[in-house]
Amino acid sequence: MTDTLALSSVSKSFGGFRALDTVDFVARAGEVHALLGENGAGKSTLMNIACGLYAPDEGHVAIDGKTVRISGARDAAARGIGMVHQHFKLVPAFSVLENIMLFNPGRSPSEVASKAQDLARQMGFEISLSDKAGTLGVAEQQRIEILKVLLAGARIVILDEPTAVLSPEEGRMLMGLVRKLAEAGSAVILVTHKLHEALHHSDRITVMRGGRKISETTPEGMDPASLTTLIVGEQIIEKPQLSKAVGPIEVELENVTLSGESGRKGLVDVSFRVRRGEIYGVAGVSGNGQNELSAAIMGLSFPSSGRIGMNGLGDVSKRGPGYRRRHGLGCIPVDRYSHGLAGRISVTDNYAVNGAMAGAYGGWGYFKRGLAQAAAREAVAAYDVQGVRSLGQRAGLLSGGNAQKLVIAREFEGAPRVVLAHSPSRGLDVRAGAAVHDRLRAARDRGAAVILISDDLDEIMLLSDRIGVLNSGRLTREFKAPAERGDIGAAMVSHE
Amino acid sequence: MSSTELTDTGHETVAATPPATRLRMVPLLEVRQSVSERLRIGVYVISLLVAAALSVALLAWSGVAPSDLGREIATTAFSSPRALGSVLVRTAPLVIAGLATAIAFRANFWNIGLEGQMILGAIFASAVAIYDIGPENGRVVTMALAACLGGMLWIAGPGLLKQRLGINEVITTLLLNYVAFNLLLHMVYGPWKDPVSAFPHTEQYETFERLPMLGWLNLNWALPLAVGLALILWWIMSFSRVGYLLDLMSSNARMAGAVGVPVAGLTVAAILGSGAVGGLTGFAISAGVEFRMTQDFFSGYLFSGVLIAFLGRNHPLGVVVVAFFMAVLLLVGQSLQVFFGVPFALVQLIQAIFITCVAASEFFLTYRMHWRQAA
Repeated sequence: MTDTLALSSVSKSFGGFRALDTVDFVARAGEVHALLGENGAGKSTLMNIACGLYAPDEGHVAIDGKTVRISGARDAAARGIGMVHQHFKLVPAFSVLENIMLFNPGRSPSEVASKAQDLARQMGFEISLSDKAGTLGVAEQQRIEILKVLLAGARIVILDEPTAVLSPEEGRMLMGLVRKLAEAGSAVILVTHKLHEALHHSDRITVMRGGRKISETTPEGMDPASLTTLIVGEQIIEKPQLSKAVGPIEVELENVTLSGESGRKGLVDVSFRVRRGEIYGVAGVSGNGQNELSAAIMGLSFPSSGRIGMNGLGDVSKRGPGYRRRHGLGCIPVDRYSHGLAGRISVTDNYAVNGAMAGAYGGWGYFKRGLAQAAAREAVAAYDVQGVRSLGQRAGLLSGGNAQKLVIAREFEGAPRVVLAHSPSRGLDVRAGAAVHDRLRAARDRGAAVILISDDLDEIMLLSDRIGVLNSGRLTREFKAPAERGDIGAAMVSHE
Repeated sequence: MSSTELTDTGHETVAATPPATRLRMVPLLEVRQSVSERLRIGVYVISLLVAAALSVALLAWSGVAPSDLGREIATTAFSSPRALGSVLVRTAPLVIAGLATAIAFRANFWNIGLEGQMILGAIFASAVAIYDIGPENGRVVTMALAACLGGMLWIAGPGLLKQRLGINEVITTLLLNYVAFNLLLHMVYGPWKDPVSAFPHTEQYETFERLPMLGWLNLNWALPLAVGLALILWWIMSFSRVGYLLDLMSSNARMAGAVGVPVAGLTVAAILGSGAVGGLTGFAISAGVEFRMTQDFFSGYLFSGVLIAFLGRNHPLGVVVVAFFMAVLLLVGQSLQVFFGVPFALVQLIQAIFITCVAASEFFLTYRMHWRQAA
């Protein structure tokens, strides 16, 4: 079989930093090839070279055995390479058909429409071409992205962490779709750091670490532990550690009801209590009120009824985030790039906001940048935030794991007594995820009350001392750890 | 099997694209990972030079030789203290107008209502003058404060609509310019018509109702006022906690709100501040240049304000520098009009060239270009 896409001895540097070091990679028609690695291992850079966004410093790219120079995304598309990015590139105000047309200029809408429908049917899903892209769910948007590149003639389909934004169920469906693409003759490249996707849904696995290719193998004979060892170069196995000392009640939700965003369920009569020194896990399939719960605790939206009590403060349910944070709330929001960090300003400026609001760097009239910088330097070191070349560097340039570490450094700075963490390891690799989990355990062990909201049941099981299940906006069951995984799973999907 | 159809679809476009055969250099764009301050400044300066070159070429094409242009700039702006003085007199209100716009832009509030705010500022200041409000020796200060109040009132409506209902401020501030203009016409054709000349403008301000002269060149206090304001705003934007929080907000307002920054309060303060300085612009012209409220004293300042704020990168000191060059351009434009018959539209075209060049230069900050051989 000829290699549909072959990258040979490819190297790429950014300002002295060697992001790729003589990497070989092949993708073959009919195969799903999983590309695994930590954040910063070079996966994205490699794929950006394959789809023409970057030019390699050394090495070359061949398609169907012929060496080519890809001069940009358009050229890549013309050569049959299609990339579905992690952040979708649909125009929200355009219809599905218009979005597809935008990517396939010069073809007749009726032809594209009928081809799109045919393709969708072959792939096993339905689409409504007249719907506005902005009204679609994430999984549907992703399918449109895939259709878009297929209709443009892609035979090499690159999916960049496609399940990072999907619920587990949607993720399973996508993996089915990926298999169908390969069966239909495409060469599929699955960039991921989820081990089970590589193990169960790929034909070949390439592991990268530190800009180098570490291994190319098949899933047979591999298991999560051996893959992890390849990915991080050492073994990381997290084990549950239950709380040793549970104290008095620190935070208490009582019959909290909150209407959801546009048509979503919101929260109905949610009550639970979290004590000092325990991690309370909120499990549930995403979209069952997690965002609303997190907003209610952070102070971003106020419940229509019910109360949120914080020890010594009484009801804080109508207080804004500033008040709650001053009195000991720390939050790791679900989307670190929208609620956690301001990407266009520096690491220091992102870190310093708590101290600035508390007056640690001078009053309103003078912001002592020097002090803020010194504090940021200390925190970056203490929380092991990597990839900070200078404190003036824009926070948006940090990788996911390091961005999360920066958020945690800021949020944990004042030793908050209540910690909210919403899917804190989403999108992170094993090592970074384990580091985040260590921080949460440390916060609990020094006596904080930790609320962990996550749609990743493994994460919930690993960390929680007690577990509540959020289902259709209600807290339907509570479990004490160690609990049966199956029981929690059943409560998550039960329709009672 | 259905899969054949899929691959057919796949091959179609590829086959339709003819392979490039000739050897040629093509640019490849890469998104930049970071932008150094040096690069930022370099690209900005180069874009200004390109704009200047284009402008000189355009003028040469319209019959103004570069040597004539150079002489004209020298005589109009720099030949004598008097010439420099008239540039600086022109500069002062432009600085204040640029600052008014820049304050709002820093808070992501697109204030396109500068002219309306100037008009209300002038109306409030004139009311103080006409109805003799306050003591005579502090009259001019009272007028300035009244002008700020007028500008603030005029921007408060759009600010409230934006904050409460999310109504686009570009539309509201822009349309209120026309309301303000008609109010101005009503006043100068009606109750405030000059009783001496019966022309449609207010009566002349008394000496103590004008900005006092500096006693240097032909300058009055408008220039120190403008520069002082720029220095104060520079401090606020660059060295105070307010400036820091404004940066945080304009980078990511949702994050700022989530960490407890008083986003609404700061935004309202910036909006009102912009309106107040807008009102002050009206005052600076009425009490510093015209010595009365005329019916078209504001015209052109909206566009100039946006242009100065944009080219000055919303930086108070940048605004001062750009406003100075803008004043030179306007005065040189006037004399070119007189001596070379160049239409005023050409001056506006030159402004547009500068804006376009600077805006287009952003491209080079976002992307890096590689030239490479096409296959």
